[in-house]
Parts: sequence; structure tokens; C-alpha cells
Amino acid sequence: MTGSGKNRHEIPAAWSWTQASSWGFTGLAGVALGSMVLLFLWQSLPLWQHAGFGFFTGERWFYRQREFGILSMLYGTVVVSLIALLLAAPVGIGAALFTAEILPTRWRTPVKIVIELLAGIPSVIYGLLGILFLREWVYRALEPFDPLSGDTLITAGLLLAIMVLPTVMTLADDALKSVPAAQRRAARGLGLTRAETTFTVSLPQAWRGMIAALLLALGRALGEGIAVFFVIGRQDNQWPAHLLSLRPLTEAGQTLTSKLVGAEINLAYGDPLHWAAMVGLGLMLMMLVGGITWLGARWMRRKEHHAQGA
Amino acid sequence: MRILACVSTNFTEKRTFVLAVVCLLVQGLASAATLKINGSTTVNLPVAEAAEILRAERSMVIQVDTQGGSAGGIAALGDGLVQIGMSSKHLDETARTKYPNVDFQETRIGEDAVAMVVSKDVWDGGVRALSKDQVRGIYEGRITNWQSLGGPDRRIVFFNKEPGRGTWEVFAHWAYGDSKKAPPVSLLEVGGNEEARNKVASTRGALSQLSASWADGQTVFALALKNGEGQPIAPTAENIASHRYPMSRPLFLLTNGPPADEAKVFINFILGERGQGLVRKHGYLSLDQLKAW
Repeated sequence: MTGSGKNRHEIPAAWSWTQASSWGFTGLAGVALGSMVLLFLWQSLPLWQHAGFGFFTGERWFYRQREFGILSMLYGTVVVSLIALLLAAPVGIGAALFTAEILPTRWRTPVKIVIELLAGIPSVIYGLLGILFLREWVYRALEPFDPLSGDTLITAGLLLAIMVLPTVMTLADDALKSVPAAQRRAARGLGLTRAETTFTVSLPQAWRGMIAALLLALGRALGEGIAVFFVIGRQDNQWPAHLLSLRPLTEAGQTLTSKLVGAEINLAYGDPLHWAAMVGLGLMLMMLVGGITWLGARWMRRKEHHAQGA
Repeated sequence: MRILACVSTNFTEKRTFVLAVVCLLVQGLASAATLKINGSTTVNLPVAEAAEILRAERSMVIQVDTQGGSAGGIAALGDGLVQIGMSSKHLDETARTKYPNVDFQETRIGEDAVAMVVSKDVWDGGVRALSKDQVRGIYEGRITNWQSLGGPDRRIVFFNKEPGRGTWEVFAHWAYGDSKKAPPVSLLEVGGNEEARNKVASTRGALSQLSASWADGQTVFALALKNGEGQPIAPTAENIASHRYPMSRPLFLLTNGPPADEAKVFINFILGERGQGLVRKHGYLSLDQLKAW
């Protein structure tokens, strides 16, 4: 910021273009986001009149019977994302420790590029691979638990874990790399082994960045649609009898995204209430993903402040 | 031609860039003449192949997509996103009321049957036919094991076609008289025919509604349906054409108003001898077969 208004008058040319356009475009993005939320709210109005708060607490979704409750889908979304995160976190952070702390620097970039390429593969490809291979493997592996089919929450979670792995890995690697190399050299100079350096110098300073990485990965997992759609079974109303039971994991389910990707949106169009319910799902998803991503970005920024302060 | 014109203009770099952008825009506008088709995966098979031929022989620009099945095709046509919608069900009043300004025209290109298909273990276990009551029982969750239907001791896994799919509409119409009367159920869902066949083939005890032409008799098997007298009627060409087999359905190409321009060329091709050959090739009944029986 330039501070006083007097300064601005002195250098109007420099101010006008760069700053005006960046303010302009930021404003545009803000307006776009704001009007999107408003549009969603407006389009979902019939839903709030019809279902009210029951939209969040209802376990049953039968659009022909005018029952719109998203709890079962919320359960599916949360469980699938958590499975993905639990599986991707150790592998991703482990891989980041390897690239940041052990791999020689000239190898780090190529390895990172390859892993980041994984993030660029369209999700429909992951979904097809999921149908071709993952469903079969999970179906066979779960045999002792007698699953109905290979479409389970576990299958979806596994697929998502693979998909968010690059995000976790590359952001965790960045976090580790932001720890100054001089500190590592100092630690090694004091006689610490490489492992000790990693665990007492690098990790303690990078953990905030790691959490940010996990939150951003969670944001991606929550918002992923197509790939999950193919392997989750899209079975509605799978609210578990016991919330902490693991049994529902071997059964099919539905997430917010798999519902939105499905054919129901075509039926909903033209039926104001049903359409409003689908828009409500979208709004819910937007808030969920937006919230988590915002949280992740905030952690990331705070990490930088700490680094600067240190 | 257009690209050549762009490249050959000899201006300063900046101007060339601007011109290139303009040319791209013009090309973008020109490609509005692309014939876009969307809808049912069942109708897609002969249509995609016809598109392939017309692209090669008459260098037409055609895009064929199968987003959302028949309902997706109707919606895309209603929204003006495509010139031809593919549908494997009759247009109902809801579609017409949803899009009051669209003059839906149905052009019938053939006939298909919906079969109840099962996985190999069920077929080998001895289940060859189902009655309407039995199918309803499975759909509503009252019958859950193949054993009570003369098959192996295995849970029944019903992969229900997504509502809105032509296949599902035909099924619901047969089982309950009207798709609106179908009871609310929460079953595993499948979308396109590829997905349904793949999942039935790879799951033990699986059952699904699927276009009869997709039942290959190797990995997925079409059951016969028992009529009122308990006689099993298999989805054979003869039974479909004579309407003895109850779950058959017309295949349509939909247009807004009578087919015009590229859409007309395309539809005429499908209705012609070669197009009808493609319809037969993919296991459906062509229009002359329907008349013959």
C-alpha cells in the first residue's frame, strides 16, 4: 500500500495501470464468486421453504416422494475423504521426506515433475482405471467380509487416495524445502545424523505446511466427482446403523459429488423443488470445499509468517 | 483455407497475433455448423458409427456424446446445445412441459429390447427366466437370494439403471405399469450400458436391466421373462418384433422441428439402407424387420 493519498498523486501513472487492473480483476473474481453464491441461494429457495433445516438432518433422499435429506451423502463424502487422507498422508509425507531430505537436488526436480504430472491426469481416467482394476481388487480383497459388490466406500477412498497423493506429496515437499538449508548444515555440523536432522530440525518447522498440504488435499478429495462416481455404487440412503461401525465401508454409498454427477440432474431440471434440492447439494459442496481450502490456505500463510518471524 | 489466409498475411508481429486471434474466433464461429448429438448410450452405437462414415465420406463435422442417457439427450436438445437428441424411450409430457418452446420431433430408427441380465454364476446356477412378480420382489427387496428362484445360494446384487435412462423407464413401465408408480428404492446404480455390463459381468449374483443387444451370452446373460401363462419368452428378434417379449422399446432421434440441414442429412443416412444395416449390426431391429414380423 502506498499509504497517504499524497503519494498517490505524485505517481499516478505507476499506480493506475498495475494497481487498478489488479484491483479490478480481484474485484471481478469477488463479484463472480459472490453472485454465484447468491444465484445458488436464490435457485435453492424452494428447497429451504420445503425442507428447511431437515435438508441437513434428513437421512432419506427420495425425490419422487419429495424427501430431500443429505445426511447419508454427507456421511459418504466424509468417510470417503477421510479414508483417502488416512492412506495418502503417510505415503505422501514419506515421499516428500525422501525428495526433500534424501534425494540429491538434481534428482529432486525430475521426480517432482513426474509426481505432479499424476495430478494432471483427468479424473475420468482414474475412474475408468478404478472400474477396470480397483473394483476387482477390492472385491477380491474384501471376500472374507462378503461384500455385495466391488463398489464400496473403501474402493472410492482408495481411488481418491491415489488422486490426492501428488497434492500431499508436492506441498509437503515444498514445506520441508522452505526450512533453510543452513539449519540442516548446522545440525549436521553438530554431529546429528541425517535422520536426527530430519526429525528434530526439518519436521518440527515444516509441520504447519504439512497440515496445510493435507487440508488442501482434503479439499480436492471432497470435490472430486467423476472418479468416485464410477466406483462408489451410487446407492442412496446408506445411513449406517452405527456411526463408528466399519461395516458400512464395505458397502456401496453415495457422496455429494457422485449425486451431482449422476443422471438425476437431468430429471430435476424443470421441477422447481427437485432442482432446488440439487442446487442445495451444490451449495453445500461449494461451502464444504471452499471452507476447507480456505482453511488450508490460511495455514499455509501463517506458516510463511512464522518463517519470516523466525 | 482460413488458416492459410491467416499465416500468409505479412504484418508486424503484434498485428499478426491480433489477426491470428481474430481468425481463431472466426473459426470458432464457423464450427457452430458442427452437428452435435447427445443422449442414450443404446442409440449411440449405430449413430456413432454412422457419424464416423459421414465424417470420412462427406467430411461432415459431427460430435456424438452420451451425457446423461436419454434424459440427457432430451435436455440437451431442449436447451439448444445439440441438434439431435438420442432417446430410447417415447417422449413423455413432462419433457414437453419442461420445454414449451421446443417442437420435439421423433424419428424412429429401430427397436430394441430391455433384458434382465445376470452374471455367469447365476446363469450357470440354473436361473433362466423370471416372472414379473419375481422381478418386483427383487426390486423391492423382498427376494434377496437366488436360492429362492432356483439358483445358487448367493445374495442378489441388483444394479439398478439410473432413473431417467431409457432402459429404466422401459423396465419400470413393464413392472409397474407407469414409471411414476415404481416404488422408492435405494439400490446400487449404474449409468451407461458399458458400465452396467462391466459391473454385472464382474460381480457374483448380479442382476441388472440392460439393452438386450449388450447381453453377449459369454459374460452377461439375458433372462427370459415369463408371461401371464408362465411361459418364458426370450428377447429374440422374432419375439421383440411381434411384441410377445414385453420389454421392447423404440429407438429415436429427436430434433427441434422437422430435421433440417446437417441433421436432415444425418437422419436420412440412418434411415437409408446403410444406416439401417448399422442398426441391425448392433443387435437392434431395423424398421423393415419390424414390419416383416
